[in-house]
Amino acid sequence: MTNPAHKKHDFIGRSVLSALAFLKDATLSEEYANRKGFLQSLDPRFKTISFLLFLVTVVSLKSIVLISPFYLLCLILALLSGIPLRNFLLRTLFFIPLFSLFIVLPTLFSIVTPGEPVWSFHVVGITGIITRPGLDGAVLFVVRIATSVSLVVLLSVTTRHSELLKVLRVFGIPQLFVLTVSMCYRYLYLFATMVENIFTAVKSRVGVVSHQRQGQNVVAWNIANTWNRTTQMSEEVYMAMISRGYTGEPRLLSKFHATPKDWLWLLCAVVICASLFYRGHTL
Amino acid sequence: MHIPDGYLSPATCMVFGAVMIPIWATASRAVKKTLSARQVPYLAIGAAFSFVIMMFNLPIPGGSSGHAVGGVLVAILLGPWAACIAVTVALVIQALLFGDGGITAIGANCFNMAFVLPFVGYYVYKFISSGSPSGSRRRVIAAGTGAYAGICAAALFAGIEFGLQPILYHTANGQALYCPYGLKVAIPAMLFGHLLFIGWVEVIVTALVVKYLQKQDAVFFEGGRS
Repeated sequence: MTNPAHKKHDFIGRSVLSALAFLKDATLSEEYANRKGFLQSLDPRFKTISFLLFLVTVVSLKSIVLISPFYLLCLILALLSGIPLRNFLLRTLFFIPLFSLFIVLPTLFSIVTPGEPVWSFHVVGITGIITRPGLDGAVLFVVRIATSVSLVVLLSVTTRHSELLKVLRVFGIPQLFVLTVSMCYRYLYLFATMVENIFTAVKSRVGVVSHQRQGQNVVAWNIANTWNRTTQMSEEVYMAMISRGYTGEPRLLSKFHATPKDWLWLLCAVVICASLFYRGHTL
Repeated sequence: MHIPDGYLSPATCMVFGAVMIPIWATASRAVKKTLSARQVPYLAIGAAFSFVIMMFNLPIPGGSSGHAVGGVLVAILLGPWAACIAVTVALVIQALLFGDGGITAIGANCFNMAFVLPFVGYYVYKFISSGSPSGSRRRVIAAGTGAYAGICAAALFAGIEFGLQPILYHTANGQALYCPYGLKVAIPAMLFGHLLFIGWVEVIVTALVVKYLQKQDAVFFEGGRS
């Protein structure tokens, strides 16, 4: 049985394991990208452009009534793309929207946002009054963020990461930058695993790290050691690139093929965004 | 400090995107001058290193924990322009692939964490450590001070960006359309957490890593590898 005191101080295990779980989850999310579904069938360039259009429109709109259709669209697209709704909601509603809700809570009250009272209550002699402008502002803020996060997650989980990085070239991002992003992504998992191995080695030799100062030293030593390995690995990676034909000018193998379906999808996206944008300005 | 989509207005996002374009262009030119083709993977690995650093939780009194950004550490080791690119790459991956930090807010996030943070931190480090030997204690103190100054400056800018939203973007009856708190609330709120807690996490991580690297290989601090 784990000693609760040790469990409390086992921040190393918690830190590395949670980081690895996070990375693995993100990597495994390609599971959805490899499935057959509506969004997976679209050309990544068209899909990315349409989602950016949606995102900019959602961020620009100032009415919950106009933003809500985009959230509904996200749910429909998730279903059409073979993403279990429960997983999608868990990933999109927890953390950022929940955190944002926590942030805007004080703005609900008359002390921060004066206006027409909607509801009041008394707690330990203190009167709290929720106002109409406070409530409207908070709901708009959270709905906009939840919709934005849903759009980004949908795009990310239904597109292979390598394709998503290639799409950056469509937007004129320099090849060197795209290559760096692509290489960086590949090393993340490797680094996380390397760090996990170092921690396992340390724990197996010294047992449980139970003092705060000792723990800080172990973490700092690991970061320094990771950097040292990084510099050594840099040379090896360069030699591997040379041996595979790298001449200093990176080339990307792009095999995107646009079909009438992609053009139709993009047209629909433009029409949806333009009509809601226009409606937003005439409301 | 990662700003998600929806916290800033589209106009603010566009302004910071426009501000970052010449910064990225200058960073690319500066890095091309100082890094040879052999060191191209160095940038990518530096970015991955910056990403991984953000995953290290540090224990603090009371059993809770916090994490560092590592931008100043990368600036000390690779130079501020290389740090700008490395942190930008880490932020792009976080936004695009992991949904952490907004896509529309990428310009503002990069301005705070890939420009203000490494540059302020690096120059504070340079000022304090100027003329000291590569293995000196003064460099450790300089690195910690730089890290603290860098992250607090970045937090200040984030606070200003948040605080300007309700002043610039609201409805006719005063309802905020984006981040609802003005400068009087946003700046102290952002600074409070960073001055009292996150800043110290950054100090501990940066200073201790510099101390360990001094012991392992002091060449890291002899003018930087970039």
